[in-house]
Amino acid sequence: MDVSDILAAHEAKQKAVTVEKDIPLEIDAGFLTVTDLNPVDKESYDADREEYLMSIARDGAQALLAALFSLPTTSSPDGPLAQLPPPTTQLPRAKPLPKPKPPTKWEQFAKAKGIHKTRKDKKVWDEAKQEWVNRWGWKGANKDKEVQWITEVRANADVDHDPVKAARDARKARVAKNEKQHQQNLARAMPLPVGTSSTGAPADRKKQIDRTLAVTRTSTASMGKFDRRLEGEKKLKGVKRKFDPTEISAASEKSRDLAILSKLDKEPSTKKTKSSESSASDVLNVRKAIRSASKGKGSAALAREAGGGKGKNFKKGKR
Amino acid sequence: MRPLTEEESKTVFTKLANYIGKNLVHLIDRQDEPHCFRLQKDRVFYVSESSMRLAISVARPNLVSLGTCFGKFTKGGKFKLHITALDYLAQYAKYKVWIKPNGEMPFLYGNHVLKAHLGRITEDTPEHQGVVVFSMNDIPLGFGVTARSTVDTRKLDPTAIIVFHQADVGEYLRDEETLF
Repeated sequence: MDVSDILAAHEAKQKAVTVEKDIPLEIDAGFLTVTDLNPVDKESYDADREEYLMSIARDGAQALLAALFSLPTTSSPDGPLAQLPPPTTQLPRAKPLPKPKPPTKWEQFAKAKGIHKTRKDKKVWDEAKQEWVNRWGWKGANKDKEVQWITEVRANADVDHDPVKAARDARKARVAKNEKQHQQNLARAMPLPVGTSSTGAPADRKKQIDRTLAVTRTSTASMGKFDRRLEGEKKLKGVKRKFDPTEISAASEKSRDLAILSKLDKEPSTKKTKSSESSASDVLNVRKAIRSASKGKGSAALAREAGGGKGKNFKKGKR
Repeated sequence: MRPLTEEESKTVFTKLANYIGKNLVHLIDRQDEPHCFRLQKDRVFYVSESSMRLAISVARPNLVSLGTCFGKFTKGGKFKLHITALDYLAQYAKYKVWIKPNGEMPFLYGNHVLKAHLGRITEDTPEHQGVVVFSMNDIPLGFGVTARSTVDTRKLDPTAIIVFHQADVGEYLRDEETLF
């Protein structure tokens, strides 16, 4: 009995486990990706596109699975888990590169002067203590003057001169100055908000100068009245008041007035309105209404009457 | 003549609301004929729209008065109610004071209302509240500001002031030249 035919038929059904390609597939197990760099076979692609694409995808999946099964595994309750190697494919950045920081004022100056920055160590060697101490911060070397137990004082110093306090004040002043410069650097680096171009448009600059000039012209003792006039100098113009037209329609004025009224109601700012707030808030005087409805007995009596009217009638009948 | 600015409207309305409270809406939102406020030479006039439109054609120096004068703006920007506004204040007043016949003349000569002259007063009137003063037969005589709340008036002596005088109809004679 010749089984070679049957075997051949079975072989054809079971596709090859190993994938052979002209250019070997690039497998990146870390990203679970396979890249097929082989050129497309035009004949078979044109003959049956779906079939051809399926076969390529199948080869890729087969190669990936083969790679996965060759990875070291750990056992877990859900079955063996493969440990993926770190990905090898270089992906492009998602975000654009950060912009370089704008240089600080010192950096600009140092660049102009050709000064190179020498980075100081955080620690300095203390000869007296024979150990490394912080340059600043906790037990910092910059606080030596403040913690030393004896301080040399000039002969002509004030009676109440406190060398510790002086040293501390000087240090605090240095910190404050640095912080101020830092804030100024930040402010310089901030982009100008839209619409305000103090340095930008020449029209803005002109307006600014005109305003400054107008202020200075009226800043003398006589409010500019007896100042010498320059040639071609124009008379200062004040701001013209603007009012609604007199013939504005009564309807629009009414709506405007009602809006003002509702605004006034919302802000009972004056003392008077506050004191009469409870009664002024509505037309009905609640206290008075309760008094007349309950015939002077108060709201509690009124509620009792309304709730247990039956009981009251019963009582009355008894009497 | 011009409409009030928002700031001016606020000042006028707060002053009026002191007397008529929420009823101020009835002045602005009138059912019969639309009325509006107009400013002419510091004076605030409450005028119907039709007469306001007629007055537009009168030149500013020639326009003496129109509608009802409600009061005037002081140079400091405060608003002072005039007695001419009494008709509207009396109509919509929230708090009222009635004075006895023997107290009418003293009030009309510009004096404050004393406890002895007090005939009736609206219940629950708070302190420093704008009130309209009536005679006992319900004729409006003027307006003022309460010195004490209704409850506090009970234990005052007869010469104590109840209502501070602000304006009275006697001004029609006394201030005839400057009132309008």
